[in-house]
Amino acid sequence: MAKHIINLTVNERKEQLEVPAHLTLLRMLRENLALTGTKNGCEAGECGACTVLLNGEPVNSCMVLAVECDGAEVMTVEGLTENGALDALQKAFIEENAIQCGFCTPGMLISAFALLQRNPKPDEIVIKEALVGNLCRCTGYERIVKAVKDAAVSSGRTR
Amino acid sequence: MINPHPVLPEFEYIKPENAEDAVRFLKDHPGESRPFLGGTDCLIGVRDKKFEPKYLVDLKRLDGFDILGFDKAKGLAIGAAVPLNRLVMSPEVQAYYPLIASSAREVGGFQLRTRATLVGNLCNASPCGDTIAPCLVYEGSMNIIGPAGKRLVSLADFFKGSGMTVLEVGEIVQSIHLPLPPAGARGVFLSIGRNALSDLAIAAVTALGFPDESAASGYRFRIALSAVAPTVIFAEGAQNLLSDQPINEKVIDGAADLAAQACKPIDDIRASARYRREMISILTRRALDEIWTALKDHNRKAG
Amino acid sequence: MKDSTTFPKLVGSDVLRVDVREKASGAAVFTDDIQFGNNLLHARIKRSPHPHALIKSIDTRKAEALPGVKAVVTGDDFPGKIGLYLKDRNIIARDRVRFIGEPVAGVAAVTEEIAEKALDLIQVEYEPLQAIFHPLDAIKPGAPLIHPDLGDYEVANFIFPKPGTNISNHFKVRKGDTEGAWKSCAAVVEREYYIPHIQHVPIETHVAVAEVSHSGKITLWSSSQSPFAQRDLIAKTLGVQTCDIRVIAHFVGGGFGCKAGVTMEALPIVIGMKVKGQPVKLRLTREEEFYTNFVRQALVIRLKMGCDKDGNMLAMENTMHWDGGASTEYGVNITRAGGYSCTGPYDIPNVKADSYCVYTNNTIGGPYRGFGMSELHTGIEQCVDELADEIGIDKVEFRLKNVVQGGDILATGMLMHPTGIKECIQKVAKAIDWGKQSQPSAPHKLRGKGIALMWKAPAMPPNPGSSATLKLNEDGTLLLGVGGQEIGQGAFTVAAQLAAATIGLPMDRVRVAWPVDTDYSPYEWQTVASRITWSMGNAVMAAANDVRKQIFEIVAEAWNENPEDLDILDGVVISKRTEKEIPLKDFAVYGIPKENYDGWIGGPIYGRGKFMPTYVTGLDKETGQGKRAVVHYTTGAQAFEVEIDSQTGKLEVIRAATAFDVGKAINPDLVKAQMEGGLVQGLSSALFEQMIFKDGEMQNPNFVDYRIATSVDLPKEILTFIVEVPQDDGPYGARGVGEHPMVPTIAGIANAIHDAASIRMQGPPFTAEKIYLAIQDQKK
Repeated sequence: MAKHIINLTVNERKEQLEVPAHLTLLRMLRENLALTGTKNGCEAGECGACTVLLNGEPVNSCMVLAVECDGAEVMTVEGLTENGALDALQKAFIEENAIQCGFCTPGMLISAFALLQRNPKPDEIVIKEALVGNLCRCTGYERIVKAVKDAAVSSGRTR
Repeated sequence: MINPHPVLPEFEYIKPENAEDAVRFLKDHPGESRPFLGGTDCLIGVRDKKFEPKYLVDLKRLDGFDILGFDKAKGLAIGAAVPLNRLVMSPEVQAYYPLIASSAREVGGFQLRTRATLVGNLCNASPCGDTIAPCLVYEGSMNIIGPAGKRLVSLADFFKGSGMTVLEVGEIVQSIHLPLPPAGARGVFLSIGRNALSDLAIAAVTALGFPDESAASGYRFRIALSAVAPTVIFAEGAQNLLSDQPINEKVIDGAADLAAQACKPIDDIRASARYRREMISILTRRALDEIWTALKDHNRKAG
Repeated sequence: MKDSTTFPKLVGSDVLRVDVREKASGAAVFTDDIQFGNNLLHARIKRSPHPHALIKSIDTRKAEALPGVKAVVTGDDFPGKIGLYLKDRNIIARDRVRFIGEPVAGVAAVTEEIAEKALDLIQVEYEPLQAIFHPLDAIKPGAPLIHPDLGDYEVANFIFPKPGTNISNHFKVRKGDTEGAWKSCAAVVEREYYIPHIQHVPIETHVAVAEVSHSGKITLWSSSQSPFAQRDLIAKTLGVQTCDIRVIAHFVGGGFGCKAGVTMEALPIVIGMKVKGQPVKLRLTREEEFYTNFVRQALVIRLKMGCDKDGNMLAMENTMHWDGGASTEYGVNITRAGGYSCTGPYDIPNVKADSYCVYTNNTIGGPYRGFGMSELHTGIEQCVDELADEIGIDKVEFRLKNVVQGGDILATGMLMHPTGIKECIQKVAKAIDWGKQSQPSAPHKLRGKGIALMWKAPAMPPNPGSSATLKLNEDGTLLLGVGGQEIGQGAFTVAAQLAAATIGLPMDRVRVAWPVDTDYSPYEWQTVASRITWSMGNAVMAAANDVRKQIFEIVAEAWNENPEDLDILDGVVISKRTEKEIPLKDFAVYGIPKENYDGWIGGPIYGRGKFMPTYVTGLDKETGQGKRAVVHYTTGAQAFEVEIDSQTGKLEVIRAATAFDVGKAINPDLVKAQMEGGLVQGLSSALFEQMIFKDGEMQNPNFVDYRIATSVDLPKEILTFIVEVPQDDGPYGARGVGEHPMVPTIAGIANAIHDAASIRMQGPPFTAEKIYLAIQDQKK
């Protein structure tokens, strides 16, 4: 079984890894880099718990091969917190009680973050559509949508 | 008993430098290699042991495979590696090929569309592939590169059956080309799934209507039906009805009936044949109503 | 003069959750996140492809020989039976398999892939037996027995199995005289409904890691609602001492009941026994989560109810056959709960109920949010609607007339406590403008309104205990030890609030010690039954009062005052009499020096508290009568305004109103969050969810074909109302609400559909197709 050496940036840190072809980005993050914030919910590209940013765009990392990420930039939920300071989105999720069990939260945050990058002032319908690939079983979604809206209003992001 | 691998089965990853190398590799490893674009269908198939390739051949970085080029005279070229999100957000696609934008928007969720490609969808040839019908309605053709060289295959001739295309061993699609839609065309994509969004289609209708002096009614329609036959099919009887006589509500009703009769739906765990057939009728009528209103409006405005 | 009224009240305030910084930053540790190091082994399970079969032989030699495989186990190694209320299950199948997916062997290997490959090398020879997939087939004479040894199983004394049949519990209620009462009824409705299997779909699948040390101590890390119950049940089955098992339970990514009791957690333990000193991890794939573990039992319910000419309900007769699946160790109690709560929240003088738990060769039925109540009320509330129609009384009025009130004698003979269900009904009815027709948004659309009520008691054995510990730290902060689990509901936050409020500390000086660890955390029966705020809350308050007492004794002695004159405000002990002050941090651990340092008073302060209800009685086996069947009932109501597209059957909820009597909302926003989340989960079960089985095999064990509510499937508007009629023995009057918000939803939607389109379907899910075809068929 051939191994591939890949060089990529994860949360602004350079990483070099040797990976087999069939290792997914999700497993590489969780198992090789111990970045366990990104979650495994279905490993079939359906639930969104594994959502990360790949070159700035949200993907289901369970459906991306690690080998495809040579030269790529990846951001996970751990990358949202900057020097211990919470991003506006994270703060909004907390304030709105949009987090219950917390398992869908990392994926939701990344999807929402990507949304606000491409659309800084989304309305409720746009937010809901942007999050349709992130399943939540606890909250009923409304507070998550409200948190994204709050963050859009308060956000002064520089990234 | 459905219980796929928790981890992907082993395979090798091949990243060819150019299309010729890709073609040669696929031809030299028949039955054990598979082209790989967005992976959203391919990796699921590998995981579920639907196929067990020894090699996945990544075509995404090949030259010309990521083009999205619109030319006012020639039409639209969509490279094989272009993901659905890029199509949804492209101003040209929205303006000139709105049915592709609207159908692509309904596939899965945003994360899926970052990876899933239009050409990948087409090659997967699922009976309920939402993006297939719009491409057929826009009369696309596939630019295929193979061991025997290049060939252009009209999408109407591309599908053989459920999950089956005319691609031979070693052949890959470089891009799909869509000619300019007919002048004055108005289209609608309507789909029904189990949830409000993100589900695959239980039944879908993609319809385009445009002025055509050669038609007795002054208009021609292209009506494609999804998820109600092994491949996407055209409701030819309905199309003919709408071009053969002046269009009114009764004719539209008749067309909707003919569309329902044209489909060959099955019962499966997603829906019954009866429901699918009746939804084709409803969706066809709604699509035609909307298109007809838009065509009449435009006609009136044009004087 | 400062007193507790000048400080903001913690109880009843929307304190921010204590666990969300971790969860928002991705740092929260779930069981699959724990880093175990290089000697971690991975387990995979060989599962039965047959719904019912004898195991003729198992050959594991080739699997054992595969490089990288460290252990292979079969049921031969583990004869003990396991179960919460009825010990009817083997950890790994022995002699026979009873459902598709049942474990027949387990493998541990250095990687998940090698373990998976090893499964293919295990050869199992089966002799298929006739299988049963419907409870009514299972009770037919001559039906094959799924558990021929039912009579030998250890069973709790309030469960009544019928050996020699497929019935593992038969709970009866006989109150008054239903036969006689029908004659006095001016209207009678008789219906049958089928509520299909659904699964909990926690976003985090089950995962457990087990390590058996060389000295025999077992450590289990599991995503669990029940660390103590897991310890207890596994210890008993394996014949080890309780103190030799330690369960460590981190955050749970959704439970909803499926992570209660013991399901797959015992598997890595028995595999681990063959690889001492190495941790073994088992994580279920999403597919396995769907059909190999716990599901919500399906139910066939026959209802008959009648009222007099004025609309007073006189009699109700319910027969329930619960599809318990291959093992009903937990499901038998759902049957029981369905029995004693069989009337729904109504005061009915004549009641007859027979609730049967039936074995089939379907997936194992287990606790699911609502514990039988969703299924039960789906039947009851639709029939109540029909009865109201029959007698010509408005459906809200009919309910207000018959609903249970404090002082009523319930079907089991229990005296009902005060309840705010009438207020709940009135609030939700008003919220959707009950009685006013609203205009559909298009000519082909139909609008309708529906209401449904519910009640539920925590379904538990009579003696489930809670305990809590409080340690004061050197700096006057508090470490709260609990055994209840944070599964998303906010248990840790409410516990901290109660501790802080009772002692007199601000929230930021209280920490809950997590993860729950059975070696160090105080005992908690299980985090189920919506019991934690009430039961564990009482224990926390008892521990807090214990701490207060110790504090006041020390300070009173030091100041030569009476403990009754002392109070604690914001972490400072004050004398109400002399206004003397001393902050906790000055003496919490080290004590107070006497005058002139002539000795010391006090020392480390460690508080403990417990709570266990002591008043629940048994119920007569033949009549279900007893003085006190349950601890209390939480009641509530939901109302819906829906719009149906008659051309497609698509249903949209325009307004959803939900109200529950929670006694006292310790943290109102968390209560509302439960109510919203539960409503959406209820909506999902009403409109989308169904496990589709063919010959015992689930056809849709994935998200593509098992649909759940997504962000775009929500009602246009959700209105939540908290009603507070205090519970006499709840902390500040609180009772639970975790499960209740999804219970009335199916019935409420069904009633609204009927109002809109005059159709009723045999059971949920009310998919667009079913609604459309029902409308079409009605036209004919």
